[in-house]
Amino acid sequence: MHTSSKLKSEFIKKWVKGLQICCSSKKNMDFLERKKKIKLCADIALACAKNSTSWSIALISEAKKHDENKTLVDNLLRPESQIKPQKTNHQMCASHKRVRSKKILKKSHHVCQRMKKMGPPKSNIATYIAKRLVKKRTQVLKRLVPGGESMDEFSLIEEALDYILSLKVQVDVMRTLANATEVLNQSDSSIFD
Amino acid sequence: MLHCHYTTMNIPGNTSGTDVSVLERQQARMKWRQQQQQGLSNDDHCFRGLVEIKPDPGLQYGWPDFSDACQDQLIPPLVADHNLKKRKTHEDHKQKAVSKENGVKDKKIKRCSEENSTETSPKEKPKAVETQKQEYIHVRARRGQATDSHSLAERVRREKISERMKYLQDLVPGCNKITGKAGMLDEIINYVQSLQKQVEFLSMKLATLQPRLDFDIDSLIMKEMFEVPAIGYSSEVANSTYFQVNSLLEMGNSPIDTMLRRSIGGPVSIPETFVVSSCFNQMQPGVTWDGDLHNLYRMEIQQESTTIPFQHKFTGSYEGSNLKMEL
Repeated sequence: MHTSSKLKSEFIKKWVKGLQICCSSKKNMDFLERKKKIKLCADIALACAKNSTSWSIALISEAKKHDENKTLVDNLLRPESQIKPQKTNHQMCASHKRVRSKKILKKSHHVCQRMKKMGPPKSNIATYIAKRLVKKRTQVLKRLVPGGESMDEFSLIEEALDYILSLKVQVDVMRTLANATEVLNQSDSSIFD
Repeated sequence: MLHCHYTTMNIPGNTSGTDVSVLERQQARMKWRQQQQQGLSNDDHCFRGLVEIKPDPGLQYGWPDFSDACQDQLIPPLVADHNLKKRKTHEDHKQKAVSKENGVKDKKIKRCSEENSTETSPKEKPKAVETQKQEYIHVRARRGQATDSHSLAERVRREKISERMKYLQDLVPGCNKITGKAGMLDEIINYVQSLQKQVEFLSMKLATLQPRLDFDIDSLIMKEMFEVPAIGYSSEVANSTYFQVNSLLEMGNSPIDTMLRRSIGGPVSIPETFVVSSCFNQMQPGVTWDGDLHNLYRMEIQQESTTIPFQHKFTGSYEGSNLKMEL
């Protein structure tokens, strides 16, 4: 797919850049720290490569909350952000507001639900059970997809679609890179044998 | 988008005031629609049925039930004491009566009834206003289904969701057999979780493989790919990697070039180019890829004579440019 290969190259670019920034800040990192940094860089790079979707914006705003990541995020975001910095900011603010208002709505909704749940549905119990299952699963999905808390069902599915695609890209790239380094390491070790 | 605002505006006095205007709007809409669809005779019937304010029981259009029902719809709006219930029973009768007719005409009927039944909701207003622009999705109620605005909006929403679900089915592997929404969601959740776990695992693997964080290797590779496009690859090499390198070049990635030039200092050996180009462009299973790799290395040892080592950035794992190995 053409778009996915484009996304891949974008992702690689940003990821490498981010790792270089990370590396320059600290010299010696132990294993876990390195792993965290790698993952963080990968996530942020992916989100920056896909700048216009809601989950990516949510991820970026989430990462920006920690001061240490701020420079990283800004550097990665910078090439494209000439076009859409205001948009992303606005969207981030909007999403924050949405989150807050949705939380209030959720609370009131829960209260109503509790009051409703006094009586089981008189009509079809099967559909009631099915609806409950679907509801539980959408809740789980909302937790998985970044920024999913403040979305209605339809946009949640769209975002999940997009997120799955980008995760696939990320996994592919990382896997090939890991394989490459592994092979090279092996070949390297065979030299010195 | 279909906006449905549900207000309870069933005050008789209020509705009678808006009834006539609603009727006029409906007439305007029907006129416009008639212009759009000339071929069907039903339009005339429906239109005529709506225009005639006084119900004409003597009219025989060939579908007496249809005309009756359609005209019956007119009476309640004019009389202030209409009930939604009454209209709904009319609709029921109508549905039974027109059960024999074909689908097209059914749809016309339903549309009439839909317009008439949604009279109390303010959604009607924007629809009428924007008749010419047609911004709203004009939903047709299907045969044998309820036609009030609530269920219509629900249906639209459900259709959208099911459309997206179908797309997701193609995306998530192993979802072809599952049809229910809950099962699909379950699969999606599992898939997303597995992908996230894979990312974690791979980042851990990369952390073990690389003593330092900088992945200069692929920047080197990419630089090499764009700087040296004209190197003659032998025929064995140019199986797929060459074409893929070309395709990558065609994407016009000059920003990579400039960025990488800033960060890197020197040329790299070609084998790494092949390694990672084959990595990034081919999703081959590991075994065959390793086989290719062996071929490539052998090829390069024959072809390349000198490679400038890139020492200062690599640690022990690479000294990669001095890959004069036997595999």
